[in-house]
Amino acid sequence: MSDLSTRLAGLALRNPILSASGTFGHGLEMAQLVPARALGAWVSKTVTLTPRPGNPMPRIQETEAGFLNSIGLENRGLDAYINETLASVCDPDAVLIANIGGHTEEEFAIAAARLDDCPKVQALEVNLSCPNVDGGRLPYSTEPATAERVMAGVRAATTKPVFAKLSGNVTRIEDIALAAEAGGADGLTVINTLLGMGVDWRRGEPQLATVVGGYSGVAIKPIAMRCAWQVCQAVKIPVIGCGGIRNAEDVLEFLAVGCTAVQVGTASFSDPACLATLAQELSACLDEEGIATSAEVSGRLARNLQCEAGNL
Amino acid sequence: MVSIRPSGSDGVVLTVRPFMTFGRLDAGRFFMLRGDEESSPAIPRPFSLYRQGDSGNLEFLIKVIGPGTEALAQSRVGEEIVMIGPLGRGWPELTQDGKPLIMLAGGIGSAPFYIALQQALAGTDQRPAVDPGQLHLIYGGRNKGLLYDIEKFEELGIAVTPCTDDGSFGFHGNVVQALEDHWRQSRFPSEVRLWTCGPEPMMRAVVKVAEDRDLQCWFSLETYMGCGVGICNGCAVLTCKEGSLGSWPVAKCCVDGPVFAARDVQLT
Repeated sequence: MSDLSTRLAGLALRNPILSASGTFGHGLEMAQLVPARALGAWVSKTVTLTPRPGNPMPRIQETEAGFLNSIGLENRGLDAYINETLASVCDPDAVLIANIGGHTEEEFAIAAARLDDCPKVQALEVNLSCPNVDGGRLPYSTEPATAERVMAGVRAATTKPVFAKLSGNVTRIEDIALAAEAGGADGLTVINTLLGMGVDWRRGEPQLATVVGGYSGVAIKPIAMRCAWQVCQAVKIPVIGCGGIRNAEDVLEFLAVGCTAVQVGTASFSDPACLATLAQELSACLDEEGIATSAEVSGRLARNLQCEAGNL
Repeated sequence: MVSIRPSGSDGVVLTVRPFMTFGRLDAGRFFMLRGDEESSPAIPRPFSLYRQGDSGNLEFLIKVIGPGTEALAQSRVGEEIVMIGPLGRGWPELTQDGKPLIMLAGGIGSAPFYIALQQALAGTDQRPAVDPGQLHLIYGGRNKGLLYDIEKFEELGIAVTPCTDDGSFGFHGNVVQALEDHWRQSRFPSEVRLWTCGPEPMMRAVVKVAEDRDLQCWFSLETYMGCGVGICNGCAVLTCKEGSLGSWPVAKCCVDGPVFAARDVQLT
């Protein structure tokens, strides 16, 4: 069996496969379907300082090749997360990354500070890029200076590794990535859902109550991969690829473009148990190719291209 | 897929044999289903269990309304489909000693009632069978073609009142008018329990009757669902402040429902 163990910003993970925030609850909901040991890490649904009831219905809609959502960060707030949700996590196999969101730059830092005291949380992922709040304006993931300030605030507030989750809805994602790195991010998750929408022209009604939402699923894979590639070229910190990944081939493709790990999201809606077996499939896929470790695949594309360039 | 049988003007009954065997499944619970073909939409769709056969086969009564249901209706016998379940919370347990139960179904909303009736009439080791005289089904649709499997319900040996908006079959009117008619004719006692499933305007009307007459009422809700297992928060329904689901403004249809007490959630 090939070795899938992965070092990610100081975390020792069993494998490079993580659940994407918002598609796995807080992990507890999935315990019967996906044992914690099947995953590199659980990434929680976004937690905000204060409770958020979420957006009006309908919040979801399937499209031809993907999935639209506008959940709007429904969550019971940080107190409930710490006192109730985290209190009920008792699986020693779970590596838990808490995803945090905020209405203001300060809120991110306050949430990070509060979670710094929670030993069950191994790292934080900072949701700079939720498309379903603030009217899709993406205030923290489209402007390098703002992204850097938020990450610097979080960095100063916690001793845990911090990842920044970026939006693909920008012209030059490398600029945002470099800013997050400069702010102190230990890694970057690339990418969140892309802004999208659907309409029922007969009724003249939007498919989502908020009209515009986040688009995910297989359709965004090439876009996510391009973003991951550009970010991997630009930064020195590890990159977690995310967008349309649903099988071992997809995982290896994102590793090849330079990612250290990946997140799987919408595929868990298609098959909630898919993450229970994906690591085994990944291992089998590597065995078939005679590759001993998944880490060897990481960055393969850039190395090859450099090699070719050197030969010219 | 064991068989696919047409029902009504736009419905099918899918009979499937799961690879695992289930014990008695609570009426009102549901499964997420999707076709296994690449052409099938990737997100499974939720369907209440319609009937549970002695052989372990499960039946789903489905109205074909879009690509997900179309893909299921087009599957072929012998093909595999994807099933996730059983999921959610079903109807309250039916006991003999309660008040008579009136089920009000609209169109494809009859699906979660067949298995409930079947189980009530059969009883279990712990619970005696319910007297058929205690059970009534008022089944309405715009026309006769939308009273799916009406004859199967009639074969159960309980009182069934079919009703159609266009008068093409049974009582000429909707289910609430049929219910009021039964009360006027003194065919029902004033104290009954109401269960309903159908289009939301119909269920709202049933809930209104229940409120006006202070009757216990439950309904089975349908929402879009992303996952069926409580992780996506896509199937939110608004809760009632004074209900039993707590103070959070929304509940998840997939894990807190799809059957709710009328006092617990708001129909939008």
